[in-house]
Amino acid sequence: METRELEVVTHMPIELSVNGESYEETVDARGLLVFFLRDRLGLKGTNHGCDTGNCGACTVVWNGKLVKSCMVLAIQTHNTEILTVEGLAPSDEELHPIQQAFKEHHGLQCGYCTPGMLLAAKYLLDRNPSPSEEEIRRGIKGNICRCTGYENIVTAIQAV
Amino acid sequence: MLLKEVGYYRPETVEDAVEMLRSNARARVLAGGQSLLNVMKHRIASPEVLVDLGGIPKLSYVASEDDGVTEIGAMTTYDDLDNSDDLRRAHPIVAEVAGSLVDQQVRNRGTIGGNLCYSDPTSNLPPLMVVLDATMVVLGPGGERRVSAEDFFQGAYNPDLGPGGLLSAIRLPVRQPGAGYGYVSLRVSAHGWGIVHAAAAVVLEDGAVADARIALGCVADRPVRASSMEDALRGGSPTPEAVRDAAEGVGEGLDPVSDAHASGSHRRRMAKVMARRAVVQAVERARS
Repeated sequence: METRELEVVTHMPIELSVNGESYEETVDARGLLVFFLRDRLGLKGTNHGCDTGNCGACTVVWNGKLVKSCMVLAIQTHNTEILTVEGLAPSDEELHPIQQAFKEHHGLQCGYCTPGMLLAAKYLLDRNPSPSEEEIRRGIKGNICRCTGYENIVTAIQAV
Repeated sequence: MLLKEVGYYRPETVEDAVEMLRSNARARVLAGGQSLLNVMKHRIASPEVLVDLGGIPKLSYVASEDDGVTEIGAMTTYDDLDNSDDLRRAHPIVAEVAGSLVDQQVRNRGTIGGNLCYSDPTSNLPPLMVVLDATMVVLGPGGERRVSAEDFFQGAYNPDLGPGGLLSAIRLPVRQPGAGYGYVSLRVSAHGWGIVHAAAAVVLEDGAVADARIALGCVADRPVRASSMEDALRGGSPTPEAVRDAAEGVGEGLDPVSDAHASGSHRRRMAKVMARRAVVQAVERARS
């Protein structure tokens, strides 16, 4: 390990935890986290949208921080923890309360933004359990939805 | 999009980072990555090595010093600035502007140092650093150098880092008694791209303007001081009429770029309006 310290790498084995499971994979330095999650780990819940950090479809929680996974290199996640949308529901039969609220309040239509939207909502609610409408809109500002006009998404988050 | 092949180096000390930057002219600092990775996707920049400062914990902090100076580590994120009690006390305008940037995801990754070193003419923080008279602490092969914010921005995407240099910290001077700060932006949408930014610092003494610093963003290749307005304000009482009159010449002589969001002439006209609003806000805060 010590020999790697001063050395420039073009690929490197990384160890990380995703949704509580440990993984060890060799990644290219140029690889984006979103593609690592989708193509290497097969976790296709994280969507790849604009690829420019604008749409938020690829949002994940990295070491407790909400981030866009198209704006992070996979190699940067060595020895860190990631939560993707797959890690929300407690079991295959049961939804996470935020997922349940989105279902009940029709907080999605096509569903493409939903994984990122759910994680943005979780990040907000973990810090602010009863946000105002304005705080919710600020919290999901980085997540673009082209179907709902956001009304039902805001209602769903308020209902959690 | 796939990035061009790149090397990755994650130093544990600033010295190692500087050594890498010194030894390879095509090595580039990776701070929060919220601009650089996009630039790399589009192949506008294709560094040979990314020097990821994320492994150097000592670069992320807000420290209030005994003499009232606030030092901010270059890798401090916008979200950390937004939530720093020390910064909210010393220079709330910085926390306020940082908390208004982009969105939560980008605020969690984007750093003050990355933003300033990217030196995008449309960035929010450069004009603010100029009116605060911030000092940039640059570490390079020859040791430490201190550069005023005004000299640091040498043009679009061209900060004064020197060969092999990196920005390690930003020092904000003590807030003078009677000082108030304002920051106003005309943006494409709430938190969106800037069309014109105006930052203002006003120091009041017995109701009159003892000093004023005003800087505009998005109207040139670097932050521009509105010197004529500063001169017109000094010594007078900052009534709304006086501020409006002082703003009269703002924008003259500037030739801002036109793009999809605004024409150059619109930017020039709006520079006057934003400068006036920023000063009005600064005066209000100086009084309260």
